Amino acid sequence: MTELLVREAALVLDGVSAGYGELMVLRGLRLTVPAGSVVALLGKNGMGKTTLLKAAMGFLPKREGRVAMAGVDITLFPAHRIARRAVSYTAQEQALFADLSIKDNLRLGVARDALLDERLAAVYGIFPFIEGRLAQRAGTLSGGEQKMLLVARALVARPSLMLVDEITEGLQPSVIDKVAAALRHERDRNGTAMLLVEQNVGFALAVADRFAVLKRGEIVLEGDTRDAGAAEAIRAQLRV
Amino acid sequence: MTESALPPAAALTPTDVRAMRPLRRVVGVAAACAGVALVAPWLLDTYTLNILIRAIFFAMLALTVDVLWGYTGFLTFGQSAFFGAGAYAAALVFTHLGFSPGLAWLALGAALLAAAAIAVITGWLSFYHGSTALYASVISLVLPIVMTQLLFSGGTFTGSSSGLTGYTAPDFSLEAWFRIAGCVLVLLTAGAWLFVRSDGGRVLAAIRDNETRCAYLGIDTARLKIVLLVGTAAIAGLAGFGYASFSGVVAPELAGFVFGTEVIIWVALGGRGTLVGPVLGALLIEWGSAYLSGSLPFIWKLFLGVAFVLVIVLLPQGLLPPLARLVRRPWARRQSATDAAGMAGTADTAVLVESPVRAVADRGTPVIELAGVAKHFGSLQVLSGIDFVAYRGELVSLIGPNGAGKTTLMRCMSDGAERSAGTVRIDGHDIAHAAPHACVRFGLGRKFQTANVFETLTVAECLRMARVRIDKPSLWRRSTTLALPPHALAVLKATELDRKLHVEARHLSHGEQQALELAMVLALEPQVVLLDEPTAGLSLDERSRIGAVFTDLCVRFNLCLLLVEHDLDFVREISTRIVVLHQGRLALSGTVQEVVASELVQTIYAGSTSHD
Repeated sequence: MTELLVREAALVLDGVSAGYGELMVLRGLRLTVPAGSVVALLGKNGMGKTTLLKAAMGFLPKREGRVAMAGVDITLFPAHRIARRAVSYTAQEQALFADLSIKDNLRLGVARDALLDERLAAVYGIFPFIEGRLAQRAGTLSGGEQKMLLVARALVARPSLMLVDEITEGLQPSVIDKVAAALRHERDRNGTAMLLVEQNVGFALAVADRFAVLKRGEIVLEGDTRDAGAAEAIRAQLRV
Repeated sequence: MTESALPPAAALTPTDVRAMRPLRRVVGVAAACAGVALVAPWLLDTYTLNILIRAIFFAMLALTVDVLWGYTGFLTFGQSAFFGAGAYAAALVFTHLGFSPGLAWLALGAALLAAAAIAVITGWLSFYHGSTALYASVISLVLPIVMTQLLFSGGTFTGSSSGLTGYTAPDFSLEAWFRIAGCVLVLLTAGAWLFVRSDGGRVLAAIRDNETRCAYLGIDTARLKIVLLVGTAAIAGLAGFGYASFSGVVAPELAGFVFGTEVIIWVALGGRGTLVGPVLGALLIEWGSAYLSGSLPFIWKLFLGVAFVLVIVLLPQGLLPPLARLVRRPWARRQSATDAAGMAGTADTAVLVESPVRAVADRGTPVIELAGVAKHFGSLQVLSGIDFVAYRGELVSLIGPNGAGKTTLMRCMSDGAERSAGTVRIDGHDIAHAAPHACVRFGLGRKFQTANVFETLTVAECLRMARVRIDKPSLWRRSTTLALPPHALAVLKATELDRKLHVEARHLSHGEQQALELAMVLALEPQVVLLDEPTAGLSLDERSRIGAVFTDLCVRFNLCLLLVEHDLDFVREISTRIVVLHQGRLALSGTVQEVVASELVQTIYAGSTSHD
């Protein structure tokens, strides 16, 4: 018996293989996100980072292996049932409802409108631009602003597990700092577990407790981000 | 360029032989089908022949609908209008001028011309710059309705609701009609088959996948679609001419909307996007309903309707693709290894060749000039008073907070319809209100913020689309080589995409799609390149390799690069100049040191987490 169904793990991937058609992108992958902690998943392009998130979130059928969240085997669950277990997934592209207003996009993140109002204040603190532009259509935001709105929507949902795909892409450096602070704060205050797919090593190390490097569908390096050599080891892996 | 891409004429290389193989196969299959068409009249009874000849003319029409809908993505209900135009043109000539061999040729010419002329007007109405696919479909709905109304109101000239009948038409035997019509159908199908698989024909799939990207590769999609519509309309007109000459009767229903929709049903049932499927669909349904309508006069339409619903629900691709799979299975096993992962489809075996850059212009001359450019959405002022000049050989980074208007500024440089005020000149040409494809012709290349490629095309095909403007693609064959300028090749090598030429773009990772798009833009051989976050989604290693490619572009080829980028380390490393956009205005412009150290950038922009 593996440690698949332990409640202490927010997410466990146990020997997961998945891909598109005949093409296998993940091969027997094992990865655990402990409850209340943040894991950064790094890796070069085309190594399967996004595929891993999609497989975990139920958007992609698994050929082999099992996936569990907080002690429940969700291998065969469709995406909407996984989302109902307080899991938020921030996709890399086209994740907003472009024709809906900013406010409506945020509203879709919460169960009741009353919750939205009390949580919006915190969002304004992180991304002030949202406050004055609630009625604006999300599709008219700039690329970076859309990314910020995605973070905001994930945060108002108060999830127990966040799956985040390259959120720093297209953000200005000072906003990246804010996002990092917001995610750390979210973990510290609400104990939210996160799996961050990232290219930005600096950001990943600043937010995450643990890191994993993915290469050709397998985890080749794992470790603690506080270790002295972590950054260097990751960069060495990304270079070859 | 074109010369260098061509192999020496004397000897056939192995790749040439491979390129000839599909052609030979098509010729072989077509000859066999033509043989069947020649022999069949001896085996079939008069009634069946009669029905099949009509069905063959309808099948030609179905073929044109499949090219438009299945390959180009334009759902048209109006092809029947062109069929009707051809049929009526012939019938009118025969009725009012009489019949002679010379007049028969005149009738044929009139049929083609009438259909084409109507298509020019319809195409111009449907595909003008900025119209949507839905709009074009609606026009295609209106066209047959207008056509039938015109025919109804034509009095004795068009025969009104009873149509024209009793005219003298070419007097061939039933067998001869079958052979002529059958061979023409085989020829048209084979021609269409070669065309949609040729380099030129793949442009249709590119338009279906991503019309915006096509425009930014310098392809005038509106014109192309009009030309395609005119071509298919002429074929529909030819089919109509054949039908009118054979049957000796024309009625307004031939140009009608109901008939146009029936054709869509044939195409969908047979297998949209397969050419052969729609042809078989038309033949079988026409033949089947002729028999059924005799024995089950009222119920057969219900059968047809139920069959249609069942196929749509159970076999959304139509009948042919699953049948073909069933037939192919026994001997496809061996191939399946290479065909894996959607890489087959259009097994592309192009060999990369380096083509010389056409012209390297002098350094230091202005290549993009903006004066007083402004943009507002209603009352919201996004950009104001932008004056900016960039020179050849420069690498200018445009930085600024999220929402400062960077992408909007790039849009104003690449599409004449975007800005609200001011002038933009590219390589000395005032872009005025020019559409994106025209701006590309002035020497502009633009890479979008989010990866913007052709999803169902392979990497090689995507790159070929970028060369359409420069190397006119063949309309009947696939090239075995892919000639690209050295800078595009460098990007492919730096990101190892040169090993994935046969992979469909949708199977690439996000970062690989970004790199592919960059290579496509460079394959245009632009003078000035706009890059919206070119390193987004790239890893450290790829980032530094791409950086080296950029520097090389500026130094060796005197290109002007203008990039929006948030990675300040990257910007510092490669830029020759930095421009800061803040609240819709150019706030700062200067050397890398000046700008990065400036108070403005430190307060509004910079952060602590370095990007590596």
